Amino acid sequence: MKRKIFLGLVMVSMVAFVVSAYAAEYPTKPVTLQVPWPAGGATDVGARILASIAEKKMGQPIVVINKVGAGSQVGLTETARQKPDGYYLGFVSVPALNTIILDPERKAVFDLEAFVPIINQVIDPGVIWVKADSPYNTLKDLIDDAKKRPAEIKASTTGILGDDHLAILMMEEAAGVKFRIVHLEGGAPQLAATLGGQVDVSFDNVGSVAPRVKAGQLRGLAVMDRERSKFLPDVPTTAELGYGTVISSSSRGILGPKGIPAPIIKKIQEVFLEAMKHPEHVEKMERAGLAIRPIVGDEYAKYLRDIQERCKALVEAARKAR
Amino acid sequence: MKKAWQLTCLAFVALAVYTLVLSFEYPYMDRLGPGPGFFPFWLSLITGTLSLALFLQTTLAKRAAHGSATLLPDRLGALRIMIILVGLVGGLAIFETLGFRITLLLFLFFLPLALGVRNWWFILIFALAGSFGVFHVFYYWLKLPLPMGHFGI
Amino acid sequence: MEAFQYWVQGFSVATLPTNLMFAFIGCVLGTLIGVLPGLGPAAGTAILIPITFNLDPIGAIIMLSAIYYGAMYGGTITSVLVNVPGEAASVITCLDGFQMAKQGRAGPALGISAIGSFIGGTFATFALMVVSLPLATFALRFGPPEVFALLVVGLSLVTGLSGRSLLAALIMTFFGIMLAMIGMDPVRGAPRFTFGITPLYDGVGFVPVVMGLFGVGEILISMEKPVLEIIKTKLKDLLPKREEWKVSAGAIGRGTILGFFLGLIPGIGAIIPTFVAYVVEKKVSKHPEKFGTGVIEGVASPETANNSYANGALVPLLTLGIPGSPTLAVLMGAFIIHGLTPGPFLFKERPDVVWGLIASLYLGNIMLLVLNLPLVGFWAKLLEIRYQYLYPGILLFCILGAYSLNQSVFDVGVMVAFGVLGYIFRKLDWPLAPTVLALILGPMMERALRTSLEISGGDMSIFITRPISAVLLILAAIVLISPAVRGVAKRAGKD
Repeated sequence: MKRKIFLGLVMVSMVAFVVSAYAAEYPTKPVTLQVPWPAGGATDVGARILASIAEKKMGQPIVVINKVGAGSQVGLTETARQKPDGYYLGFVSVPALNTIILDPERKAVFDLEAFVPIINQVIDPGVIWVKADSPYNTLKDLIDDAKKRPAEIKASTTGILGDDHLAILMMEEAAGVKFRIVHLEGGAPQLAATLGGQVDVSFDNVGSVAPRVKAGQLRGLAVMDRERSKFLPDVPTTAELGYGTVISSSSRGILGPKGIPAPIIKKIQEVFLEAMKHPEHVEKMERAGLAIRPIVGDEYAKYLRDIQERCKALVEAARKAR
Repeated sequence: MKKAWQLTCLAFVALAVYTLVLSFEYPYMDRLGPGPGFFPFWLSLITGTLSLALFLQTTLAKRAAHGSATLLPDRLGALRIMIILVGLVGGLAIFETLGFRITLLLFLFFLPLALGVRNWWFILIFALAGSFGVFHVFYYWLKLPLPMGHFGI
Repeated sequence: MEAFQYWVQGFSVATLPTNLMFAFIGCVLGTLIGVLPGLGPAAGTAILIPITFNLDPIGAIIMLSAIYYGAMYGGTITSVLVNVPGEAASVITCLDGFQMAKQGRAGPALGISAIGSFIGGTFATFALMVVSLPLATFALRFGPPEVFALLVVGLSLVTGLSGRSLLAALIMTFFGIMLAMIGMDPVRGAPRFTFGITPLYDGVGFVPVVMGLFGVGEILISMEKPVLEIIKTKLKDLLPKREEWKVSAGAIGRGTILGFFLGLIPGIGAIIPTFVAYVVEKKVSKHPEKFGTGVIEGVASPETANNSYANGALVPLLTLGIPGSPTLAVLMGAFIIHGLTPGPFLFKERPDVVWGLIASLYLGNIMLLVLNLPLVGFWAKLLEIRYQYLYPGILLFCILGAYSLNQSVFDVGVMVAFGVLGYIFRKLDWPLAPTVLALILGPMMERALRTSLEISGGDMSIFITRPISAVLLILAAIVLISPAVRGVAKRAGKD
């Protein structure tokens, strides 16, 4: 009997040793971090800042690559296909991830189960904004006008079925109005279109517009969150203004292909969590107007599932309107 | 040459018919205007028509057709072209399996050899610089990843 | 005058030794990035952003801007030497530039590019200082309907590139538009013609196609009869001939104006100014048939327009904070990382940054000229390497460039496939430029049409009711109909 216990202990400690040695070995070569959005955009900027700080703790270079296309679908497909050894990670933008999965016309080859969520970096609340000399001073002005002129007020998004698009649909439902939705490709065309008067109001995220609102070039009508953004303290929230159901945000985080061994995931999480808390990261993200909100592991997985649930109805509504 | 033009026109007509058929899979109109199927439909029709027109124009033309007098290159030229193509396609096939360094080493070694150079040392240096050297510059200095094969090279 | 004060202040900032050094490094790096086909200023600039993290904001921005317009020039080098355009802006330069190189006149081609770029860039910088805000605000009136109309004008100008067979040119144009249909459509965001191949979701990729058609295709063609006798370039052949200077002057003038004003319209992209400048030059020329065989105006014009555009596109960025192209978006990202938001208020709050940058642009233009003119001899000499090494080397470059776009072997495959196509079309003497142009303009047109209809709620009359758009469409109609009218008039005249 004693022998069996002894052998058992030896085996267990050997396994533990091997497992921890395996984890301790990682990483032995550079780690690729793929961003499915163009270089220079908000997600890419956040990713590069994070990578440059995290690689010091990681002990190996973290190489950021861009795999652009189809509203992040190309990059996500690539991430889902990779070997789950922890050397290829992908940045993800939510709800883009979810709408791609939910819209059958996109023919996505992956679903939530194809990934292991690792850690979230940023939650960027949505914001409704207009140009500085717009006739709309408050959200109420906008909604009143929208009621008077159904389907005439041009509201722009930064992409079809992105968080802005879904936010407009939520607003329409909550306020009982109809906008004329105009889809643009990204923040820059949206800025040009709004300043040039091509559209009347725009839906985007705090990170993209906060510095300009502060500078007075743009005016924020409402932030679509429960509490005010510290980057836009003077802009009321939709919750305050009576539209508590219109909560929208774009979050960005890191995923891996499903099947990465648990000890490696843990190591990756540690490294990135510490990097996110690092003062240099905090400072740079502050300057870029991006709100850091680390969410780790299972909690992140739950967050993604929740978002997917909420998106289901909205995606249906968007498809019906086609 | 005349034949070549005619063949190409017919190839385009075939392509146009193919895309025309495919375009029916996509909705023609949409709530606001032209849908995804609209342009492919019309473009296929226009391309097909233009190709037919050029086919007729070429067939009925009395003067000599444009372009180089002989379509096909001479033996030696054709051989060289094939060498390049074999090198390229072969390289593509092994690129992901063997990784950048090995693939380009082979590529840059094979090509000059096949094209007639006999100075083995020169070729070797050239191939090494172009494969391992370039890899080093890109991967370590510029942080631009180039594929490493299944063997980690 | 206040502006003059700012100008002086700007120069004092720009001429600080550290900032001068950053500008210089940026020019060198930018040229190198531009020389590598496919890498593109956007990706290159993005890679270099982390390097600038540790620099002070002004220095970082000066360096990144220098990289940006340095890359514009670098792309020219490969276009002229090996017919491989590094990115959209350099495509048109291939048409005459490479032909000149084949005649042993790579020197004058590169030289006039450097000089034209310098003049165009300097003028644009000057204009930037003087007329920025009101012009930029006016340019904002170019919404999707106006962009659509402008693109229609652009496409109608393709008739200017037709070469010998108009029908063949038209077929190639429509072929290009059809290629552009591959990928996500702008209406629903659903994939079209992708056959389930994921990399095709974003379309067939402009850079691999161009590098294949022009670059690889050219290599295959030259393999038929490789140049065994190397044309040694003499020093005096490195400069343009006297008559060439005269014609180039006009081309440079026209290119500068066209490039700058088109640069003010955000979202146009660099190929339109070069293309428009080239066709305009051809139309005002006394010998339009010679275009495409190696005339120096065919190089001077697009190259000047190119740099003038690059500097002109900085106007919306600096005055309103609107980046007109992906590369400028990267530049703007860099601004933001350093805590600066480009826009009217940056002018007021941090004039040192803005005017320092503007002054640095001047100096950068001079630096590029000084850097590149002497190198012209070096580049010309490169062409004297034996073809058995030179061509595999060029192929290495192309593979590297195509791969580095998206880290995808698929793109390299596309390039090879189009290389074969390029070879075939060259043998047939069918023009390649229309396909390439259509590949860019096609999707832009569909998107602009779609967005215009979203704005008008489905009403097609928006194109005619808006003044600028209506004028442009009439212009397009004139351009399209005029060759036919001229043909009829000629025949009527004969009778």
